[in-house]
Amino acid sequence: MSAAARPYPRGLRVVFGLALPVAGLIAWEISARYGTVPSYLIAPSVILAATWEMVLSGELWRHAGDSLFRALGGYAIGAAAGVAMGLLAGIARPVERFYDPIVSLTYPVPKIVVLPILIAWLGSGDGSKIAVVTAAVFYPSFINALYGAKSVNRIFVWSARNMGASPFQVFAGVILPAALPQVLSGLRIGLALAFIVTVAAEMHSSRTGLGNLINTAGDSMRFDLMYAALIAIAIFGFAGDRLILILRRRALAGQSLGKEGANA
Amino acid sequence: MGVLPQAAPSAMNLGAAAHFVARWYSVPLVLVVWEALSRSGTVSRRLMPSLVEIAEASWAALASGDLLFHAGISLTRAFTGYALAIVGGILLGVAMARSRLFDALFEPLFSFGYPVPKIALYPIFILVFGFGSLSKVTLIFLECLYPITVNAFYGMRSVDRVHVWAARNMGASERQIFWRVMLPGAAPQIFAGLRIALPISMIVVIITEMIGESRGLGYYIHDSSAAFEYARSFAGVAAVAVIGFTLDRVLVGLRNRLIFWERGTAFIGAG
Repeated sequence: MSAAARPYPRGLRVVFGLALPVAGLIAWEISARYGTVPSYLIAPSVILAATWEMVLSGELWRHAGDSLFRALGGYAIGAAAGVAMGLLAGIARPVERFYDPIVSLTYPVPKIVVLPILIAWLGSGDGSKIAVVTAAVFYPSFINALYGAKSVNRIFVWSARNMGASPFQVFAGVILPAALPQVLSGLRIGLALAFIVTVAAEMHSSRTGLGNLINTAGDSMRFDLMYAALIAIAIFGFAGDRLILILRRRALAGQSLGKEGANA
Repeated sequence: MGVLPQAAPSAMNLGAAAHFVARWYSVPLVLVVWEALSRSGTVSRRLMPSLVEIAEASWAALASGDLLFHAGISLTRAFTGYALAIVGGILLGVAMARSRLFDALFEPLFSFGYPVPKIALYPIFILVFGFGSLSKVTLIFLECLYPITVNAFYGMRSVDRVHVWAARNMGASERQIFWRVMLPGAAPQIFAGLRIALPISMIVVIITEMIGESRGLGYYIHDSSAAFEYARSFAGVAAVAVIGFTLDRVLVGLRNRLIFWERGTAFIGAG
């Protein structure tokens, strides 16, 4: 076990890590060029060229902008409400009492089910998409903020109060910093969800956006456009996650000492 | 003496009742507000049907067998993909934790692919696997594979070394160490992954059925909304809610039974 647990040196890991994707891409490229494959498997080089062309022509940006607006709009509302309510519920019993049964009953329910109803309420434009993203982001933000605020060591709170800190000082100086790691985990889960839900909602019903582009391009056999949209979605999902990780590392610079790799 | 034993239970019942009310009051409160809004006429009655109408629609859909038919199809798809992801994810996670070759080969795929919304692949899956269940099951498998594999991997990695050393010191074979020390040690985290993946399987099955399908709960909700029969869509939403909640409870019950030595937390962030 101890032998197997020691990983390869870094350089070798990079080589191995690239092995599967690169092998897959090469096999794909060769079979698309020389073999007989279904028409939707166009060569990666063609996909890249098409993507680049769409980036230059601005078409990809237009769709990406719409998607980002919906994803980040819903994320901003859902995360702000979730974190604020979660922290409040963590320090005020009545607030927790109010939310606890509602949240525990509804959080295992996929929020996307209400999308057709939200469309009936808010129309098939940005409103319904932002609303469903908001609902999806609220839950992890709320739950993690609540547990973050509740898990604050009581002794810290007592000491601060004992030394004459006002309730606001206790909140801003003790509870908030202590809850921050978990708050940020919630925000990270929420951001990933925001992108998933946005793309799903756009695939369901929309006239613009990357999810819509994938659908319409697939339907009209423009597979190059479809892959371009896919690449854009993958980049956004990945970049958003890395951005949160960087923010997290900065915000927790003094806190995460000795906890390397504690969070998956 | 004669008074106390009588008084105590009733006081306790009263306390328990008060506690019950304090614990759950907000759910009926929300329902009452909904009903009041629906009946007041400030919002369209059709867009926000009263609870009575929703209950009637649910009952009608249950009685006609529609709801059960569509729920059965959705559940079969979700479970198939989920079960395949459990088998594949745990095997892969364990292999990555035990073999540095597997770790080097697959770890980047999982850490880079994790935040990417794989739902975007659905149109390609339709092209490859067709419009039926197969494309949905494959997508559910793929989406669920990520949290299950990653959690199994970290679970196996985080097994306390002292336990492994102790077992080895007492003469346990490698096989015994795996089955009796490593796997139980990783079990809480493996279950955490299963619990994250369960609602994901529901999300994916519902959304793919909404996009293009003529069966399943996602289709049922989408179709009744498109026909402006919102009471029926709410019946579908209620069915999904009941299923989602029940499955989560079952999984938590199973977890607490299998991992009796450690209590789980009530929540994890799920969408």
